[in-house]
Amino acid sequence: MTTLAGTFSRSVFSKTLYDNRRVFAVWALATALLATMYAAFYPQMTADTAATVPDAMSGFGMDDLSSAAGYLQGPVFGLLVPLLATFYGAATGARMISADEESGQLDLLLAHPVGRTRLLLQRFAALAAGAVAIAAAVLAGLLAVRTGAGLGSVGTGGFAAQAAHLALLTLLFGGLATGIGAATGKGRAPVFGITAGIGVASYAVNGFAPQIGAEWLRNLTPFHYYIGGEPLKNGFRPADAAVLAAVTLLVMAVGAWRFTRRDLAR
Amino acid sequence: MDTVIDIDRLTKTYGSRRGLDDLTLSVRAGEVFGYLGPNGAGKSTTIRLLLDLIRPTSGTARVLGLDPRADAVALHRRIGYLAGDFVVDGRQKAGECLTFLGNLRGGVPAVRITALADRLELDLGARVKSLSKGNRQKVGLIQAFMHEPELLILDEPTSGLDPLVQQTFLDMVAEARADGRTVFMSSHVMSEVEAVADRVAIVREGRLVALDTVADLRARSYLRVRITFADPVPAAEFALPGVTGLRVDGTVLTCDVDGSPDALIKAAARHTVVGLRADSQDLEELFHTYYARGEAAPAA
Repeated sequence: MTTLAGTFSRSVFSKTLYDNRRVFAVWALATALLATMYAAFYPQMTADTAATVPDAMSGFGMDDLSSAAGYLQGPVFGLLVPLLATFYGAATGARMISADEESGQLDLLLAHPVGRTRLLLQRFAALAAGAVAIAAAVLAGLLAVRTGAGLGSVGTGGFAAQAAHLALLTLLFGGLATGIGAATGKGRAPVFGITAGIGVASYAVNGFAPQIGAEWLRNLTPFHYYIGGEPLKNGFRPADAAVLAAVTLLVMAVGAWRFTRRDLAR
Repeated sequence: MDTVIDIDRLTKTYGSRRGLDDLTLSVRAGEVFGYLGPNGAGKSTTIRLLLDLIRPTSGTARVLGLDPRADAVALHRRIGYLAGDFVVDGRQKAGECLTFLGNLRGGVPAVRITALADRLELDLGARVKSLSKGNRQKVGLIQAFMHEPELLILDEPTSGLDPLVQQTFLDMVAEARADGRTVFMSSHVMSEVEAVADRVAIVREGRLVALDTVADLRARSYLRVRITFADPVPAAEFALPGVTGLRVDGTVLTCDVDGSPDALIKAAARHTVVGLRADSQDLEELFHTYYARGEAAPAA
């Protein structure tokens, strides 16, 4: 046995990290690569192309594509990255409890001296490590092209703040999927579907709410707390971040509460 | 402690379906307890209740004097469990998997894992997904035995094992008993359990239909008798207590005898007997009788 596998077999947390090392690395690198590529297109944005964006897209952060911060809040941090983060959360969250329950592996783990809540938290901690890796990789990629792509008007602190909000958004959807799996015992596919569905629906609500004159609806979507406060321009928004963290905590708490009380599926 | 598993009126319903119906039994310290029944009889349900993987609808269970739910973590430390369908992530190596599971128990000496693997002839370096069903089952057996638990709960432990490995497994069970440990193992085949079990319970449709020592079950099995007479005999003379399935076909009588064959022999002695053959029913057959008759089984 390699020492590496041995080192990582100490706990459910490290074992989950080790077993998912390739998946997590691919998510982080792919998300960072796409974000960096799109950010690097900024110099090619002209006033003309910015004007061709339909008005209906303004709610999706496409209203101001000429400034660096405005551009980044559009296709990069407004569309591509948060949706990838949502799917990472849904897909990984659905694997933390649901996939193992479906296959019967959860029976084996929980027949060991591992409490249900502890298992849930260690699995979520592994997911969180993957989420932080995504945010860190995105941040590293953007900082690498910042000057070259003419994005210098956005400060390093702004990028870091947006990356922190990204990590919290990812955790929220990861927590939602993990929590739904823990609470219901449904299989991996339905848990992924439900979470991704909620994610896409709330993204759409956040985008379309201004056009239907229901700006207040935005307050109900996580995307509002992720980017509504414009962390790229304004820096870290503690209140918004607290809302994202609180919702994550809530869905995980409900998940844990049900998980410790229900039968494991077979 | 005399009682290791104490199950009292345990009931588990899944919606309208009954998984387990008012089951009461106890397993004594140091015995090998066979838990038999056809597939779907409630064996795995019972075992998963003992491990707190599912919770009872009513009734209680105590394992090693502890409550399976409230004391789950403390209890699981002292139990080795093999699930009916043992599954682990196929991407890892067998040895990695066992080390990890050992670490969940605070660590198991590597030599103990390799010794068990050598004995069962399992390659610890192989990826789990590349292993055959039987070899995967060996991984399951090792993880159940490796921390030398006080209580082994094994659900269909021999499924997929070839006869040679089955024998090794039975030796391991016998050794565990010799060490004073308790083994609770389920099966749907009597012969698997017969060789090692001290006592056997038979369940059917979630109910206990028989619970006895293997020796008593054997004693309870009836004789299958065939007598050939010199001349035809009247059937009515042989309608005796304990005699069932009586058939007289001219000079040949066949029947089953429960208990002492004395009355039958004395009745037969009134005629000229030219042939007599009596076979004791084997346990496998007896077991099938319980399957078929369910609660109508004798003196359960």
